[in-house]
Amino acid sequence: MAGLVILLCAVAVNAMVWGSVSIGWRNVLVILLEALPFGLVFEGLEIRSVHEDILLQIRLPRVFLAAAVGSSLAVAGAVFQGLFRNPMADPYVIGISSGAALGAVFAMLSGFSLAVGGFGAVPLFAFGGGIITIMLVYSMARVGQAVPVMTLLLAGIAVSAFLSALVSLLTYFAGEKLHMVVFWMMGGLGGATWHQVRVMVPYALVGFICVSIFSRELNAMLLGEETASHLGVDTERVKKIMLAGSSLLVAAAVSTSGIIGFVGLVVPHFVRLVAGPDHRFLLPASALLGAVLLIATDTLARVVIAPSELPVGIITALIGAPMFVYLLKKRKKLRYFGGGG
Amino acid sequence: MGINIEVHGLKLAYDAQPVLEETSFTVERGGLVALLGANGAGKSTLLRCISRILRPTSGSILLDGQGLEQFDSKEAARKMAVVPQETTADFDFTVEDIVMMGRFPYLGRFQKEEQKDREIVRRSMEMTGVSHLAERSIAALSGGEKQRVIMARAVCQQPEALLLDEPTANLDIGYQSMLLELAARLNREQKVTVIAAIHDINLAVHHFNRFILLSGGRVMAAGRAEEVITPENIRKSYGVPATTYRHPLHGVLQVSVVRGRTSEENLSGSGPAVHVIGGGEEALPVLELLSQRGCRLSVGPVSAQDSGCRFAHFHSLPVVIVPPFTSMNGVHKEEHLKLMREADMVVVPPIPLGEGNLPVFEEVETALDEGKPVYIIDLAGVERRDYSGKARPLLESLVEKGAGVLETFDDLHETICPGGGKLNE
Repeated sequence: MAGLVILLCAVAVNAMVWGSVSIGWRNVLVILLEALPFGLVFEGLEIRSVHEDILLQIRLPRVFLAAAVGSSLAVAGAVFQGLFRNPMADPYVIGISSGAALGAVFAMLSGFSLAVGGFGAVPLFAFGGGIITIMLVYSMARVGQAVPVMTLLLAGIAVSAFLSALVSLLTYFAGEKLHMVVFWMMGGLGGATWHQVRVMVPYALVGFICVSIFSRELNAMLLGEETASHLGVDTERVKKIMLAGSSLLVAAAVSTSGIIGFVGLVVPHFVRLVAGPDHRFLLPASALLGAVLLIATDTLARVVIAPSELPVGIITALIGAPMFVYLLKKRKKLRYFGGGG
Repeated sequence: MGINIEVHGLKLAYDAQPVLEETSFTVERGGLVALLGANGAGKSTLLRCISRILRPTSGSILLDGQGLEQFDSKEAARKMAVVPQETTADFDFTVEDIVMMGRFPYLGRFQKEEQKDREIVRRSMEMTGVSHLAERSIAALSGGEKQRVIMARAVCQQPEALLLDEPTANLDIGYQSMLLELAARLNREQKVTVIAAIHDINLAVHHFNRFILLSGGRVMAAGRAEEVITPENIRKSYGVPATTYRHPLHGVLQVSVVRGRTSEENLSGSGPAVHVIGGGEEALPVLELLSQRGCRLSVGPVSAQDSGCRFAHFHSLPVVIVPPFTSMNGVHKEEHLKLMREADMVVVPPIPLGEGNLPVFEEVETALDEGKPVYIIDLAGVERRDYSGKARPLLESLVEKGAGVLETFDDLHETICPGGGKLNE
């Protein structure tokens, strides 16, 4: 865990050093330390104010946002995989992303100029779309008092497919806004602002606290709902809280940065392969590793074809997938998630 | 420790298909109860109602007089632990992790496992013999080991009642009795009330002392083995003819399903009439085989209580019975000769021979002289089961007079039912 924290710091500093304008790491540290409210002043190093602006107004919020989004997606992925006991589950599996995408695309095409709390129509509609979708899926899957996870998963997949079709339909008629729509769907952290960070981080924190105080219950749920309830877990309540918490995480992440794939699928597997399935470690470790991965890949996305940038989702998949396969091969230990062997 | 469990008028249906209908019974504090019944009789459903997985449509379940629904999940888990038939354990949790989960109902949300919990985990693993597996991944264990780990978790839960739902269904016979013995030990040492759904009656009687027989969602019988496990109850609930007998070593009641024909068919079988000499365990396979082949059988002479005698009674066969510890008198000889004369042939199974039963062969010789075909099985091995030293010359003299010799009883149907090799018709 400590290693992950150090890695996170290293990656974050590196993210601030690299860019179309390179700022030396000594300068980065000085600017950061001076920006802290301790009144620290370092003499002797000459720092250009334009660097200071780039760092504090552009790169730093972007790093924070990447960290928040990355950890939200990774934690939500871990929760869904555990809850559904399915290694294929990712944060988007039960349709939050499709709902959010429909909201976002609708907002783009209709050209609403709505703004609440400093946000435009697109993130607001995306967030709303995600939350409405998850509520719809939950109510569809309800059987009497209970919500069986299999039904939930299937209902989610069905709703997700339906909404994706609607998104495609809208995209087809997007006309000159097609570019905008496609870019949003690929996901990216461009144009991150402190304002986004300020709104995103509380959601991420609330969602994370929500799910992580139930990690012991989630461990028991891995053995099956009946077993969990024999052990004294109130499974219906746990499911509700888990879904609410992780939906909040995903909806917040998607509305600020579009649909960034792969992080939420792969990071939890990574941690499980190395450290086992105990959610008391898995959730915080996934949060850290998710943050690391997204900061690192976002840095690459900014740098490889600077001064323009790639959608970060492309990089996460391009780098994450081979690394994951390598780890799988090396460990040759698939049974940790029902893979037999 | 130990609670009593009352079930009153439980009703439950899956999609209008009733599974439990007015199920009622009481399990006393410290009871050791096996829940018997055919597949689909409602055993698992009943246990899942008690363990709060299913909610019955009507009726009530009381733990120590208190309604089940009044407990919250953790309270209920401190009262009852469950060992299911199978646990999906595809995850890399260590055995110790899994057992530690048994402490869940005792831990507050922000409470960490303490030394006391670890100590209980250690003792539970010791009791169930899985201490040496503590660091192993649950996913890498065999079915039997896994089930003992689940048992350790249940012990770790320190329950007052232990529910087992077909816990031995996937285990080999060694692990089966080991697991049930563990349950019985918990019952003995800690007075834990144990209810186990088990479909293997013969296994259940070894480990339990009270039985509840479910049939069609109702309690058909409840009580001691002798009251519950009767051929009549078995036939009604499992739909097969069965016979009960005492285990030769342990004396507990055992059930055996009767294959094939009914007694009417035995009397009017289409095959030849065969008289089988003597009883005992060596004659049984011969009797069973001939009965399966549709032969009309007669048996004797046998002593009462002999297994051959039981076979004859069960199938209502004509039999010559000699009271125990007496020898044959003139009446018996007369009866014996009569049965042989009525038969188409006489078979001598590989029975033990001694001074007591050698006189039987006087009548056999008479029958042979009268032209009755006689077959002797396993003449070659006669020394092994001869306690008189006179059997071989006697039997060989019969062979000289025309008796046939068969190597093993498998050759019987070739000889006796040529072409009639229909198995289990």
